[in-house]
Amino acid sequence: MVAIPFEVSRSAGPGQKPRFDKFTVNVSEETPILTALLQIRSELDPSLGLRYSCRQAICGSCAMRVNGKSRLVCSTPVGPEFRAHGKVVIEPMANQPVVKDLITDMTPFWDRYRRVHPHLILDPAHPLPKDKESSMTPEQFDQFKETPRCIACGACYSACPALGSDDEFLGPMALAKMYRFVVDPRDSAYRQRLATIQNQSLWLCLRCNMCVEACPKDVRPAERIVDLKRLAIQELGAPEQGSRHAEKFMTNIEDGGVLNEMKLARETLGIFGTLKQIPKGIQMMRHGRSLKKHPPIQGVQEVKVIYSELNKPEDLMHRPRPAGKGVKGGGQ
Amino acid sequence: MKVAYYPGCVAQESGKELDIATRAVAKILGIELVDFPNFSCCGSGFIDEANQTLNVALNGRNLAIAEKASMDVVMTVCSTCQGMLAHAKHTLAKDPVVRKRSDETLTKIGYRYQGTATPKHLMQIIVENLGGAEKLRPYVKRPLTGVKVAAFYGCHILRPHDIMEFDDPEDPHYFEDIIRVIGAEPVYYRGRVMCCGFPIQFVKPATAERIAGKQIQEAKRHGADTMATPCPLCHISLDNYQKEAGRAVGEELDMPVLHFPQLLGLAFGLDPKDLGLPRHLADTTGLVEKLSRVAVPA
Repeated sequence: MVAIPFEVSRSAGPGQKPRFDKFTVNVSEETPILTALLQIRSELDPSLGLRYSCRQAICGSCAMRVNGKSRLVCSTPVGPEFRAHGKVVIEPMANQPVVKDLITDMTPFWDRYRRVHPHLILDPAHPLPKDKESSMTPEQFDQFKETPRCIACGACYSACPALGSDDEFLGPMALAKMYRFVVDPRDSAYRQRLATIQNQSLWLCLRCNMCVEACPKDVRPAERIVDLKRLAIQELGAPEQGSRHAEKFMTNIEDGGVLNEMKLARETLGIFGTLKQIPKGIQMMRHGRSLKKHPPIQGVQEVKVIYSELNKPEDLMHRPRPAGKGVKGGGQ
Repeated sequence: MKVAYYPGCVAQESGKELDIATRAVAKILGIELVDFPNFSCCGSGFIDEANQTLNVALNGRNLAIAEKASMDVVMTVCSTCQGMLAHAKHTLAKDPVVRKRSDETLTKIGYRYQGTATPKHLMQIIVENLGGAEKLRPYVKRPLTGVKVAAFYGCHILRPHDIMEFDDPEDPHYFEDIIRVIGAEPVYYRGRVMCCGFPIQFVKPATAERIAGKQIQEAKRHGADTMATPCPLCHISLDNYQKEAGRAVGEELDMPVLHFPQLLGLAFGLDPKDLGLPRHLADTTGLVEKLSRVAVPA
């Protein structure tokens, strides 16, 4: 048994400034943080508010921040956190209003989930067979083997820095969920789904991979979002800033093998956008930061061969995907 | 040790000071940098969004160039280059479909990717090849005593962990270990592992700048004298766009932002001018003044 100092965020409700209450609990290092919190509630402070249910990483109720990281507390042991930080600081999930103490109001999370229409949309002209199961190939199934594992715990939503900075972003869970329907061969709204996110939300993902680390089920939302970006470009072209930037970056490197920063700005931002960047350019030049074009790399012809061979549509729907890191915690 | 040096686009263009500082520091540390003028851009994550196979093949070529010259380590000085090269190596090992397409293409231009070269960031080389932060101690000529340094890691050197295999992806410590050895005091704040906003600077500048502003603001609240980053793209967000970031969060930020090799160079006694500090947009003179009070022994 080890005496573990806890600092727990306490808040009376929405908009109230939280305070940190200190508790010490005697538990073994393997003890799940949830168990320690329940011990605090039963022995030290019965007013502590927290949400939990299954205690085995299935229900997705107990996501919180543990020393800043978004985690299911039922499957996170006390020991490593205590050893790394000398204490365990518990806060409610981020990016959502707090109801009380460690309980958040997940309405913004569920609103975004609803916005991606998380259900099969069938084409009435091609109904599913009534008398037998609707089959798909193992390759088709492979495309969404990660996403159905999601337990909607909100850990990714809490960990996402884009969500905290832009209300328009749909967030990792909702977009990963949309991906699951986009690649489902039974779904008929494939292009419409992509079109609804193409304009803005899709391209606000920062690719920071915080969601990949936070997800207890290895759904790897950031990677599913990149999958969506490729599908969107392939199906709908590059009609707006985000996809245009990716496309123009790609063709930019074909020219000289190395980035031409000025050209990229001009092509992505257009004439007016580039004009707006002029004061920044002057400021940079004053500090000796030239934006001179870099000469082409040696062997730029080799790069051009790679482009001529591979700058073609990829088979994005039916390609087997390598296995991920495996599922953390119990249950499936 | 001898490494294939992969400076990346920014260090060769607008962020030339990173290249200058890297060469100076590598010389002191006895890391021999071999230049390959045929290395291409890593794709910076953007090419990957448009075409994964093309992106992997471009980086497969980069790694194969080093392998052809019998080099085992490709040294990067950019978290994003490091991320892209490591992603390519991972995909070539795990995805037979992409591997086949890449191999077929590289054969046409006379390369054979074998997987023997490993991309490593300079920070990773210090930790894994030179024996850890402690090994820097003999080179420290001007300990940065009293200077509070806020490390800003840059996402792609850390995450996803199963591909990057470096430090703790959400709770790292190698950078802070180094900061301590060079005599400075590390500043702990959540933003140190967060995104700088750079990937969406061209998509939605207002959001990108708000994100950068939040991280600088937090470093400042924690008393940082300077931030330091192993990623030149983070440097663009935190330094080049600091004025805009400040406006986005409603605060004059006034925070020097160093490239990781510049921070080492200062501790090794090099002249701030020779490390390219005057090229930064956020003023570094206050920091340099503070350092000048620490005498450098002849």
